[in-house]
Amino acid sequence: MKAARRPSDLAARSERLCHIEPGDMVPLPPPYEDFNRVTLPLLKPERVKGIETSLDDTVAIGIPRPASREEEDLLVRKFLSGLKKLFEKKNNWTFLQPLLLSMEHCARCQTCADACPVYEMSGRQEIYRPIFRSEVLRRIYRKYVKPGGRIAAKWNGDIDLNWTTVARLAELSYRCTLCRRCASVCPIGVDNGLITHEIRKLFSQEMGIAPKELHEKGTVQHLRVGSSTGMNPLAAKDNVEFIQEEMEEIAGFKVEIPWDREGADILLIHNAGEMLAWPENVGAFAILFQAAGLSWTLSSEAVGYDAVNYGLWYDDVQFSRVAVKHADIARRLNVRKIVMGECGHAHKALTVTADRLLTGDLNVPRESAMVTLADIVSSGRLSLNPRRNPFPVTLHDPCNMVRSMGIVEPQRRILRAVAPRFREMTPHGVDNYCCGGGSGFAIMSGYNFADWRNLVSSRRKFLQILDAFADEPPEAPKYVCAPCSNCKGAIRDMIGYYHGEERSGLYYGGLVELIVNAMSDMKKPIIQFDGKSSWES
Amino acid sequence: MGYYVLSYVCMAMFVLASVRLVYRQWTLPLHVRWEIYPVRHETTARVAYGGSYMEEINWWSRKRESSLVNELKYMVPEILFLRGLWKANRGLWLASFPFHFGLYLMIATFGGLTLHAALSLWGAPVSAGGGLLRSLLDGFVVAAGWLGLVLGSLGGLALMTKRLLDREWRDYSSPADFFNLGFVLAFFLSALAAALVVDPWFTGAKGFVCGLLAGGDAPPRTALGALTIVLGSLLVAWIPLTHMSHMFMKYFLYHQVKWDEAPNRRGGRIEAAVRKNLDLKPTWQAAHVRADGCTSWKDIASSTPGETK
Repeated sequence: MKAARRPSDLAARSERLCHIEPGDMVPLPPPYEDFNRVTLPLLKPERVKGIETSLDDTVAIGIPRPASREEEDLLVRKFLSGLKKLFEKKNNWTFLQPLLLSMEHCARCQTCADACPVYEMSGRQEIYRPIFRSEVLRRIYRKYVKPGGRIAAKWNGDIDLNWTTVARLAELSYRCTLCRRCASVCPIGVDNGLITHEIRKLFSQEMGIAPKELHEKGTVQHLRVGSSTGMNPLAAKDNVEFIQEEMEEIAGFKVEIPWDREGADILLIHNAGEMLAWPENVGAFAILFQAAGLSWTLSSEAVGYDAVNYGLWYDDVQFSRVAVKHADIARRLNVRKIVMGECGHAHKALTVTADRLLTGDLNVPRESAMVTLADIVSSGRLSLNPRRNPFPVTLHDPCNMVRSMGIVEPQRRILRAVAPRFREMTPHGVDNYCCGGGSGFAIMSGYNFADWRNLVSSRRKFLQILDAFADEPPEAPKYVCAPCSNCKGAIRDMIGYYHGEERSGLYYGGLVELIVNAMSDMKKPIIQFDGKSSWES
Repeated sequence: MGYYVLSYVCMAMFVLASVRLVYRQWTLPLHVRWEIYPVRHETTARVAYGGSYMEEINWWSRKRESSLVNELKYMVPEILFLRGLWKANRGLWLASFPFHFGLYLMIATFGGLTLHAALSLWGAPVSAGGGLLRSLLDGFVVAAGWLGLVLGSLGGLALMTKRLLDREWRDYSSPADFFNLGFVLAFFLSALAAALVVDPWFTGAKGFVCGLLAGGDAPPRTALGALTIVLGSLLVAWIPLTHMSHMFMKYFLYHQVKWDEAPNRRGGRIEAAVRKNLDLKPTWQAAHVRADGCTSWKDIASSTPGETK
């Protein structure tokens, strides 16, 4: 039985504000009924000793509990100081106008609630409701920042501000994937995803509080070592050399992967995670660009070989540093354009969000790989045999690429040309559902957060995938095309968690692999299903 | 005369508060792009599925096409008929549409009354012995007025019921929310009662609005008429002070955020605004930011983090 929670309850001290009981979540169909009684594994006391765990069944950040009342008060004051800065031009010019508009005009009509996959799939847990955290922030802002707020608090909606409120709000800002489906249906245009983003920013930029995977192992490592994967430039080149050899095996001809070629038309930037987890994606790009006769290069300079920009999700300063570095590398290589590899958030970060950060010669044109690849496929420069992709294929739309950028059709044009058994998910395009790994969730796995992701935030996507292939026999291999590294990571994990490969024949991969798999002059298939050739599936 | 003074003051407050709201929006710094697709001024082919100009190869070298017609095709049904709510929340639309359309019809009725008053004051045949114009205007005022009052009252009652009885709504509603909705509802109900009981042909309303334009003194002759004038005037002043200003602030939510996908071109207006923003000096306190109130965003963005964790 779910406890009814109100925004003001966030301040009331209790062991745990929300708990998902067996059977609360939206049920899965056969043959996955055994997961319908599964809930989150309990957090081991020894692992969470001394950290804040009072929000729900999981932990994303792991904020240390203050040692004394004085320390609590100090942190609350820091929070308030950061909150004020969110509403100042000099500190938050980046999002001040959208934030003010979303803070001031919500009618609390709840239209957003049904659009949110996390809220829906969790069994409508109140704290995951899109406006829950927005309303908490609104009430704190009105009461503690606006003049006369304390006097008018009972009138405007009251809330207490204490360490419990602050710690829970920090954690709660990491229960939303920032997919912005809620914003797309809001009749007024209010964006709860944006408010969540701003809460994360406040904690990071003022209090230094952010998930380790995004900050310490993410943007900081990216800027210091060269990649959020921890790969330095030498390691990246070594990996690509290995990929080159692998690709020559598959292609049956020499594959060139150029580095640091000044004056090339294209600087291609991959999510460096591809080099480690999905090397065939990096290799497939090389095969295609070579076959199409493009002038292109990779950069071996630190940051330049990793397109990710985790700052997009939690910190404008870190975001700016990474974006400026990417642009500066392209400027010095004197390329005509940057092409973003298969990474959705990197697409949005450098192409859209950083568009109003980069000036002068740093404003190097940026293009989605979906567009470049569609141009190659439609140009007739490749000899394609779609019958080499005889298996059913569905397409996952990465939110950052589709809803936030309007890159919708190029990837579909490609699929219609190379995958004769392509079918859409429902809904798709700009109405898509998030993979559940958005806003950093795909790379966050501390404590039991990966279980929360698989069970709650990825659940809707898993149901969509099953639905897309409902007319296929379970044993037949099926391909989920996800042209985004983080989405691919989330889909890989959900397939593994639910045993989707064994029970439903689910496989996943990028878009570029499907194109290369359909190329007539390939010696071997680049896509394999459980070690078997995909050409004969 | 007191009723007229109240109406003048309230209308002046509405104008001042609205201008303040709009002025603040215009003077805010240019923000980073945060659009959501479909962007409705895209070309017909792309708006159909939510595509953008970024779907074109070398998009920056092409002329950017946009369509005001497509934008209007979306905005007019959205403003008049709450198209988005119809699509995403049909149950709420049944209450919200009559409420909002009732308000629009009240504005239209006031417009009709004002036109009637202006023509009367200028000696046009509208106030003389009849004529087509008079019949049309009278008919419009009565039709829009009645329809607006009935729809607004029904919609307001439905919304208030939902806010009171539906836990999802009640738990997120503050006393201010109940007051705001109650205020609008009180206006609709008092005006409906006035129309039913004492002024079915809006004759009293015409006299009062005529007085508003002439600066004259034609006070309401009934308590219900007086109540309607007081509530209507106060409501006009109150709307821009609350979230109900979304009636016109929605323009900024859509045009300056949701659909603002204008690219930054070298040497252009956007670049100039970005350069200005980059000169601002933040004061964020986290160690990695390295802000001291003297270092600009531009310098911070070109630096490395101040700590490793």
